[in-house]
Amino acid sequence: MSRESVRVRLLQVGSIVLLLGAWEAVARGGWVDSLFVPAPSAVVGAFARIGPSALAGLGDTLLKTAVAYVLSVVFGVAFGIAIGSVRALREVLSPFVVAMYGMPKILVLPWIVLILGFGTAPAIVYGTIHGFFPILVLVIGGVRDVDRTLVTVARAFGASTWQLYWKVLLPAIVPTVLAGMRLGIVFCLLGVLIVEMFAGVRGMGHVMGSLANGFQAPELFAATALVSAASIAIVLALDTLNDRLSHWRG
Amino acid sequence: MRVLALRVAILAAFLLAWEGAARAANPLLYVPPSAALPALGRLLALESYPDLVPSLLLTLREIVIAYGLAIAAGLGCGAALGLNRVIGRAYAPIVGALYAVPAVVWYPSLMLFFGLDAASKIAFGFLLGFFPITLAVLAGIRQVNPHMLAVARAFGARPLTIFVKVMVPAMMFTLVGGLRTGLALSVIGVIVGEILGSKSGMGSLINHAYGLFRTADYVALVLVTLTLVVGSDAVASLVERRAQRWSE
Repeated sequence: MSRESVRVRLLQVGSIVLLLGAWEAVARGGWVDSLFVPAPSAVVGAFARIGPSALAGLGDTLLKTAVAYVLSVVFGVAFGIAIGSVRALREVLSPFVVAMYGMPKILVLPWIVLILGFGTAPAIVYGTIHGFFPILVLVIGGVRDVDRTLVTVARAFGASTWQLYWKVLLPAIVPTVLAGMRLGIVFCLLGVLIVEMFAGVRGMGHVMGSLANGFQAPELFAATALVSAASIAIVLALDTLNDRLSHWRG
Repeated sequence: MRVLALRVAILAAFLLAWEGAARAANPLLYVPPSAALPALGRLLALESYPDLVPSLLLTLREIVIAYGLAIAAGLGCGAALGLNRVIGRAYAPIVGALYAVPAVVWYPSLMLFFGLDAASKIAFGFLLGFFPITLAVLAGIRQVNPHMLAVARAFGARPLTIFVKVMVPAMMFTLVGGLRTGLALSVIGVIVGEILGSKSGMGSLINHAYGLFRTADYVALVLVTLTLVVGSDAVASLVERRAQRWSE
C-alpha cells in the first residue's frame, strides 16, 4: 500500500470513529434529547430487541422488491427495445415516456392503494412502476446509440429481422441493460419501502413507520442501519457481477 | 405533422377508454375525466379546498429552501471532494455508498427528529437534492483537462481564479445537469415527505382527499401539484439552455 492509500484508510476509519465518538458523547452528555437522537451504544442494544421482527420485515420487503425488480427489468428491457428500435413508435411515444418518467410517482400512490387495497399487491405494482421507467429510458437510449454500421452490415449480409435483434442489437445493449439493472434495484426497493410506510401492514417500511410513530428512536436507527446495509450490499453485489461480466465480454 | 396527430389521437383514445371503463366499472374509484374536470374547476375556484393557495405556497417555500440548501452543501462538498485528492479518495466512496441507499429509509428518522412540520420535508428534499449535485460537481472537476490547469498555473493564476475562470466553464455542462437533477429530486423529496406525513401543504390536502374517498378532488389536487413539478422543470431547463450557450 502506498503512503497515500494508508492516509486515505486512516482518514476513513478515523472520521467514522470520531463521528461515532462525538455522537456518543453528545448523546450521553445530554446536549441533545436522547428521545430523538439515541447514542450509538443504545442503537447497538436496540438491534437485539428488534432483531427477529426486523429481519422478518426485511425479508418480506426484499421478497416484494425481488418480484417488482424482475417485472420492471423484463418490461423495461422489452418495451425499451421495441420503442427504441422502431422509429415510428419512438417518435410517437417519446413525449409520453418522458412525461411518465419525470412525473413524481408518489402522486399516484394513494390511487393505487385505493384500487389494490393494503398489502402486497400495491407494493409490488408501485415498486415495478418505480423501477420500470428509469430502465425503459436507459434502454431506449442504448438501442438508439447502437452503431448504425453494425446494423447496416448485418442487413447487407442478409440477416433476418430476428437475427438482427438477437445477434446484433441484444449483445450491443448488454452494458446499457446492466446499467439499468444496477439503477433499477434501488428504485424498486425505494418504491416498495414507500408503499409500506404509506399503507403497509407488513415489511420494513411499516416497521420503521411504526417505530417512528412510537418514538422508539434507538430501534428506528437500528432498523434504518439494517435496511441501508442491506441495500448497499445488494448494489455492491450487482457492481461486482457487472465487473465480472464486462471482464468476460472482454 | 402526422406524428403530432398520432400523439393527439393516442391521448384522446386513452382518455376516452378511461372514461368508458371508469363509468362501466366504478366512477367513484376510477374517476372518469368528465368527473375530474368539474372537480378541478371547484378546486381552482377555492370551493372544495379554500386553503389551496397557502398550501401551494408552503410546498413551494419548502422546495425553494430545500433546494437552496442542497445547492450550497452540494457545491461545497463536491468541491472539497474534487479539489483535494486525499479527501476525494477517502470520502467519495462513502458518498457513493450512501447514494445507493433508497433515500426514503432516512425519512422516519427525519420525521422523528424534525417533527411533522415543514422542517422534516425541507430536510428530506435537501437530502435528495444534495447527492446528485455533489456527485455532479465531483465528476465535473475530475473531467477538467489537467493541461488547462497546468497552463493557468504556469501563467501565475491563483487558485480562486483557476476555479472561476478555468474549472467552472469546463465543467458547466455536467454541473448544470446535476443541478437540474437535484431540483427534480428536491421537489420529489418535499412531495413524498408531505404525503407520508404532514399537517399542511399540498401533500396533506392530497392525503385528506384520499382519506375521505373524495377521489375527484384527489385527482384535481394531483393535477395542480403536477403544474408545480412541470413548472419547476421548465425553469430549470431554461436555465440549463442559458448556461450551455454561455459556456460554448
